Amino acid sequence: MTNTKTFKRSKTARLIMMVPAAGMVLAGCGEKPVEVQVFNSQDECAAYYNPPAECKAAFDDAKALHPQVAPRYASRQECETDFGTGQCETAPVLAANNTVPTEQTQQSQQSSGFFMPMMMGFMAGQMLNRGGMAGAPQQQTAAANRSPVPNQPLYKSRDDRSTFRTATNTAVASQPGSTSIRPSAVQPKPAAMARRGGFGAQAAQRNVSSNGG
Amino acid sequence: MKRVNSTPRPGWKAFAQSVGFNFHTFDGEPYWDESAYYQFSLQQIEQDLEDPTEELHQMALDLVDDIISDEQKLRQLQIPSQFWDAVRASWRSKEPHLYGRMDFSYNGTGPAKLLELNYDTPTSLYETGFFQWVWLEDQLLRGELPQGADQFNSLQDKLQQAFAELDLPQPFYFASVTESIEDKGTVDYLMDIALQAGLNSRYIQLEQLGDIDGQLVDLDGFPVQGLFKLYPWEFMLQEDFAGTILTSQTQFIEPLWKCLLSNKGILPLLWQKYQGHPNLLPAFFDDGSALQNGWVRKPLLSREGANIELVTNDGKALKQDGPYNDSGYIRQALAPLPQFNGNYTLIGSWVVADSAAGICIREDNSLITKDSSRFLPHIILD
Repeated sequence: MTNTKTFKRSKTARLIMMVPAAGMVLAGCGEKPVEVQVFNSQDECAAYYNPPAECKAAFDDAKALHPQVAPRYASRQECETDFGTGQCETAPVLAANNTVPTEQTQQSQQSSGFFMPMMMGFMAGQMLNRGGMAGAPQQQTAAANRSPVPNQPLYKSRDDRSTFRTATNTAVASQPGSTSIRPSAVQPKPAAMARRGGFGAQAAQRNVSSNGG
Repeated sequence: MKRVNSTPRPGWKAFAQSVGFNFHTFDGEPYWDESAYYQFSLQQIEQDLEDPTEELHQMALDLVDDIISDEQKLRQLQIPSQFWDAVRASWRSKEPHLYGRMDFSYNGTGPAKLLELNYDTPTSLYETGFFQWVWLEDQLLRGELPQGADQFNSLQDKLQQAFAELDLPQPFYFASVTESIEDKGTVDYLMDIALQAGLNSRYIQLEQLGDIDGQLVDLDGFPVQGLFKLYPWEFMLQEDFAGTILTSQTQFIEPLWKCLLSNKGILPLLWQKYQGHPNLLPAFFDDGSALQNGWVRKPLLSREGANIELVTNDGKALKQDGPYNDSGYIRQALAPLPQFNGNYTLIGSWVVADSAAGICIREDNSLITKDSSRFLPHIILD
């Protein structure tokens, strides 16, 4: 049989988000704890039989997030009161750190006039559950796509040098290695406040039903 | 090309609701209309619509260099001068574009005439790429259409391929205006396709976008590094966050240079460069004088047929009011839409990346196609 006809239409047209697949249940209440790992350093992470490249990736994520989420203090002294002498550094202007660091942005980092604690460790939230995402896109949903626990920096307070804490002061572990946490308790939040509502005025003013055409 | 009456699928409205098509009826009037369909020959599709679409697309892209290096043209398009450098940079750094739609007047014979380019925020995407496709498959299964009937509609395939190949920053955000159900439907559809292409996709209401030190941020304050915005560039360039566009490290889809091609001023510029091209209509920047018979006046910036004024060949004047009366105008020779069964029929032809990707058909009771004009499916059958 020779069937050489080429069609002018899509081979399939399916929807995964607009049409929930049968049997797919929306996430209920009762958040399940997930397993994450916390470490003082990349080397320590690798010593726990993790692939060094993944340790480095998680560390780099945390390092990049650090200036965005670390608590900010108006003076070094206030910062050191919470985190200890010599444990604080100047906080950069946020925009310079918002992008993937390039040489230019690193060189042009300006001080914001604020101070923040130094990063004392990191949480690897994605090391254990990364596999298979690329292979099965049809099973992805918006919710599943968002890793429940982002890799993030950890801090240690002046009084308690063994406990790892998130940027929002949630204690997560008192020793390196695996620990179990609720994802909602460890979602990093940027320290700076955003201005909002800067787009959309024209649509409101013109009162159109669509902004397309 | 002909119009064929057809029996609507029983229960199609409930089905439409179940697959997220919440705007199938518009102010109590049908928007999706499957009581008829249009039938084309493969030759009509390929020679008269597909090929000209790709050619006109390349001609439009070829104009971008001319425009950005000529201040007079930038002024004619009313691009605010503080954004000229950003427009040039977005083109010269080859910021990729995703999609567009051109509208044609075509009756089945002779060259299709380009009415305009919708190259920034085209909608009716879901209806074309998904709902029209499902209609064809359903009606084939039900035996309501001749076996072998096809459709010029590779829109969803090509969008998915584009999302997979564009190498967009992730998470990638999709934004639309909160109030518009139609816009949300379009954005949901694009997000769905992006997810299927493996892109980490998130929705944010356009009004919720934030600014921290000149960087666009999401609700949690994280930088928005990639953004599809179903919101016209010419609006964004005059709103409070206009300055943020210049400083934010954000890749926009559509990119900023698309504001040149979505502007109706592109029509006179195309005519200047390619005068006499069979798919182009004579077009000029408007001098404000009275419209002669057989001419149309359109705002540089408008959509959904708003603020368009025309005088037919026999002197009948027609005017559509609307909210886009604050820009300059162009005038274009009238290529009256063909009539089928008393309906005026317009063909929209989609472009994804740089390929023609299918058509959609709109019908109206007047010569001016509007937001409320009915959407009819089509088939290809020889």
